[in-house]
Amino acid sequence: MSIDFSIFIEYLPFLLVGFWLTIKIVAGALLLGLPFGLVLALGRKSNFFIPRFAATSFIEIFRNTPFIIQVFLFYYVLPFYGIRFPAEYVGTVALAAFGSAYFAEVIRGGIDAVPKGQLESAKAIGMSDWQAMQNIILPQTLPIILPPLTNQTLSLLKESAILSTITVQELTMSGIRVQGETFRPFEVFIMVAILYWALNETIATFMRWLEKRANRERGSNLHATRLKKAKRLETLT
Amino acid sequence: MKFDINYTFDALPRLLEGASVTLQVALLGFLFSVTLGTTIVLIRNILNWRILNGIIAIYVSFIRGTPIMIQIFLIYYVLPVTGLNLGAFTAGILAITLNSAAFVSEILRGGLASVAKGQFEAAKSLGISGFAFWGKIILPQTFIVSIPPLVNEFTQVLKATALLSIITVVELLRVSQQIYSANYHPVEVLLGTFLIYFALCFAVSRSASLLEAHWQIKRG
Repeated sequence: MSIDFSIFIEYLPFLLVGFWLTIKIVAGALLLGLPFGLVLALGRKSNFFIPRFAATSFIEIFRNTPFIIQVFLFYYVLPFYGIRFPAEYVGTVALAAFGSAYFAEVIRGGIDAVPKGQLESAKAIGMSDWQAMQNIILPQTLPIILPPLTNQTLSLLKESAILSTITVQELTMSGIRVQGETFRPFEVFIMVAILYWALNETIATFMRWLEKRANRERGSNLHATRLKKAKRLETLT
Repeated sequence: MKFDINYTFDALPRLLEGASVTLQVALLGFLFSVTLGTTIVLIRNILNWRILNGIIAIYVSFIRGTPIMIQIFLIYYVLPVTGLNLGAFTAGILAITLNSAAFVSEILRGGLASVAKGQFEAAKSLGISGFAFWGKIILPQTFIVSIPPLVNEFTQVLKATALLSIITVVELLRVSQQIYSANYHPVEVLLGTFLIYFALCFAVSRSASLLEAHWQIKRG
């Protein structure tokens, strides 16, 4: 098997058009999925049965079925009730629904990781549940959930390839079309894979850098408080 | 067109047949991937060659950084070009195995890191080495720690098998596509498929705590 390099040059612009749509779809799914994931997480932590049950079932159903079937159901069920949207919109909504179930679990984990005393002291100084959540708990979850949220975002990017099965013209679909024209599967799919891989690594590296910086700042604060404590101990002895 | 649950019931016997193929593919793929994943971990720790470690790192990064759908396409379309003509079923299992092994090796690496240092030192000071060292002392502990993420990975494999329908493996999703392309009732048929997948994955993910409890007792 010889590699035909001309395909790389000839079809790259076509693939980049699909790549751009992939990025737009993932961004759209994030924009819709993150707030909805937060709602689901709060629903799951709710004291009332109905929101808790609804949120838990939604999360479990979407986490325990293949994304491809969710996409098919969205794609076939909506027209069944007379609602017709372009495939890109259906795909974005499906990806957002799928992503929100995972985001909800990440956010819930972050809320659970905040020490209990924080909620108790917030309530002790007279905050309502909602105020405590908004001002005390959620801001503290942010550094905890950022790394797993990044992972979930990257997995959304990868799952978005499945939208090619409902004729969304994203990167994978573009690859399939080029393969149909050229009959050079290796060159085409390696090129597609490298594009996904590059974006994935770029996001992952950037988020790692961000995390390291945040940790360094928090670490230096920790260091400062430890120094203060040590000095106080010195004066005592 | 009205929703008619009877189409779901009519499809059920064939769907369950498809589900058994799905289970077979998932179990075979997962078995191979755990074997390969363990081998990768052992190569990394016993041989520890720089070039081999580099190749493994690139392989793991590639698998984790690209959609499994593309990996399936690469294996299904590219292998025949090189003269290796596998059927869809074999190619599918190969794709699942290669994909999952990367994740399994990362899980086991994490598990290995959580095995207490004293275990390594104690085993070495008793003069245990080679097979007994890894097979009887370190790996069992690694696997027990890794039960929850491994079960989670198995549900991922179970869900990934649905993608093999694209390369014409006749598993659960493919069967349901065959049914609704004949009776034009995608919603009812897909609902049945959806529920079967949910039952399978939900049962598997709930079994993690059972497995953990089982091994915890045996250890104690």
